[in-house]
Amino acid sequence: MKNVVCYINQFFAGIGGEDKADFEPEVRDGVAGPTAAINQGLKAQDAQVCKTIVCGDNFMSTHRDEAVQRILEALEGTEFDLFMAGPAFQAGRYGVACGEIGKAVAAKFKVPVITSMHPENPGVEMFKKEMYIMVGSHSAGSMKQDVDAMVKLAGKLLSGEELQGPEAEGYYQRGIRHQVWLKEPVQAADRAVDMLIAKATGKPYVSELIIPKKDLVPIAPAIKDLKHARIALMNTGGIVPVDNPDKIQSASATRWGRYDISGMDRLEGGVFKTIHAGFDPAAANADPNVIMPVDVMKEFLKEGKYGSLHPYFYTTVGTGTTQGEAKRMAKEIIPYLEEDHVDGVIMVST
Amino acid sequence: MKLELGNFYVKDILFGDQTKYEKGILTINKEDCLAFVRKDPHITEADLRIVKPGDMVRLVPVKEAVECRVKVNGDALFPGYTGPLSQAGNGRTHCLKGMSLLAVGRHWGGFQDGLIDMGGEGAKYTYFSQLKNIVLVADTDEEFEKHEQQKKNRAIREAVHKLAEYIGSCVKDQEPEEVETLELEPVIRRDPETEKLPSVVYVMQPQSQMEEMGYNDLCYGWDCNHMLPTFMHPNEVLDGAMISGSFMPCSSKWATYDFQNCPVIKRLYKEHGKTLNFLGVIMSNLNVALEQKERSALFVAQIAKSLGADAALVTEEGYGNPDADFTGCIVALEDAGIKTVGLTNECTGRDGKSDPLVSMDEKENAIVSTGNVSELIELPPMPEVIGELEALGRDGLSGGWAGDEILGPSVRPDGSIIMENNAMFCGDQIIGWSVKTMKEF
Repeated sequence: MKNVVCYINQFFAGIGGEDKADFEPEVRDGVAGPTAAINQGLKAQDAQVCKTIVCGDNFMSTHRDEAVQRILEALEGTEFDLFMAGPAFQAGRYGVACGEIGKAVAAKFKVPVITSMHPENPGVEMFKKEMYIMVGSHSAGSMKQDVDAMVKLAGKLLSGEELQGPEAEGYYQRGIRHQVWLKEPVQAADRAVDMLIAKATGKPYVSELIIPKKDLVPIAPAIKDLKHARIALMNTGGIVPVDNPDKIQSASATRWGRYDISGMDRLEGGVFKTIHAGFDPAAANADPNVIMPVDVMKEFLKEGKYGSLHPYFYTTVGTGTTQGEAKRMAKEIIPYLEEDHVDGVIMVST
Repeated sequence: MKLELGNFYVKDILFGDQTKYEKGILTINKEDCLAFVRKDPHITEADLRIVKPGDMVRLVPVKEAVECRVKVNGDALFPGYTGPLSQAGNGRTHCLKGMSLLAVGRHWGGFQDGLIDMGGEGAKYTYFSQLKNIVLVADTDEEFEKHEQQKKNRAIREAVHKLAEYIGSCVKDQEPEEVETLELEPVIRRDPETEKLPSVVYVMQPQSQMEEMGYNDLCYGWDCNHMLPTFMHPNEVLDGAMISGSFMPCSSKWATYDFQNCPVIKRLYKEHGKTLNFLGVIMSNLNVALEQKERSALFVAQIAKSLGADAALVTEEGYGNPDADFTGCIVALEDAGIKTVGLTNECTGRDGKSDPLVSMDEKENAIVSTGNVSELIELPPMPEVIGELEALGRDGLSGGWAGDEILGPSVRPDGSIIMENNAMFCGDQIIGWSVKTMKEF
């Protein structure tokens, strides 16, 4: 009998909705909520759900390190062959939680991890390299369908059956590529000339390497009249008030914040700091202006080098942050700039 | 240009009193051949061995593979290199088929050298395990590079290039079992039916990254680092104009045997007049400076466009830095309106998670992929090693290492090995033999 450990949030465990999202991690023997259906499906594979972990989405997103640590400790000594989280549908925090715990479990216990998310769930971009994320549905109305898909892949992984790749198995491309011998041994010369003939004559062909699309942003035109321009400051270096009020993550950020600088001439160390986990923070903690140059911008303002300064600076963390998340955060920030008629932005990356 | 390849199919190779070919049996006079090799005073130690598919033998460090041939009219087999310049690709060349002549270092290997297992599970990693091979195992007095990672391997490589012709001479005056005639009409004088078909060029990017002479592929004896892309007749490539060099992790290399038998050219010939109009080969290169890469891409696109190519097949002898040439050339051709297919290997790392090419562009929408240079390979001990197994870990072969915190040494005390595909001799077979591809997991 093979053992599977599952992870679900407080909502699917029947504990409650947003009001119960701070629910602390709990490891239960056997099933809870949708993992009963997973357990049922696994019977055919001579496998069972031995434990179900329940954790509130808020708790996981605001106390990630603690939540992960507590779950890993609780699983110590448990023999299991596979870890399944979700399905998370389009629920963003839930998807990220499934990814965070799945990644940690895979690293510590060396077992495969399956979850399921809708294509728009931010967890897909963040974690698809780390685990099997099934292409899932929009909402829990399709619970059965998503659970069935996860169970099907689980069966193959538990029995050691060779996987047929992401498209055939229904999980997102993980960007993990290895060499294989073709079942029908066609030489590369013949494959290439066949592809050449197909491409030259407008017939369909399948490239053996799909190049990911680049999303290039053109460089903005220069500001013509700097003397009257309104400038805003932004950074991906994680400069925040010392208590990090917006709970911006130190890596793989999904959150951003904006902080009022209208009443100060510079950012003081001890009042602001960096929470970026991708470089030595000592210099930026001592003088946060080395990343977010409020001091220089205020001086330049007095000297009349530019027109005026937008009263807030904006912060997120760049390391490990996906292009998709970065784009979403930009779309959320832009209205504030437009409303205040900002002409130009200084974006500091680290 | 008309080339006749007269083929003699070698069924077995033996040592005997006289070097001769008779009824499918190639007999080699070992002492006579070794005396020929020792004419180069830089060869200090030499032996000949015969290995066949299935033999439980491991060869390392392998430096080169050549097909034994002779030009019936007496021209040099590799004009401008083993003899005076003459036109390659014309007339009659007699070839000993189903076999190759391999160069193996008796002791010392380098970055560019590789490994061949003739039998067992390691045999599938190279093309040359499928051939019968005469193996020259030699050492030289090239002290200046004995402990260098990058080796020119001049003496031992030249020895097999010359010995290939010496052995091939035994069929010079015999009637071949088969004559393969390779002929293309001049580009602007083709029959109207052929001209209606899509016209294609084959763009080859042979290895030319080293600034110092002696390491790169040669074209009629000329270092490819010093050439600009030029239009060549495919027969020239098949008939000794191109000679493999001594640089690049081994699995990404093309041996001289590969040029002589280039399967892409053979297939394009087969399709010529049926599905396509084969215009010829554009021989480019893989120089390292960005300006040189851009200049080569401009030349290739211009030549293809001027010839009226509708489609192109681009292939690179290498990975990493050469990916920039590969991608740049494909983009230049696509921008010129030429539908282009790329043929390459990938470097996705041992975990498969790295970007497959160093340089990529969305215009590369038709790629054939032949393998992952950094795939980890573990193989059991072999009863016999020809060369020196220690070379794999000791001498900086691109897929071997002396020690690793997690994996241990490449060469273990019991003779088993762990290595990257990088050191498999011409293992990714980018020339076109590869029956490997890359798959998403």
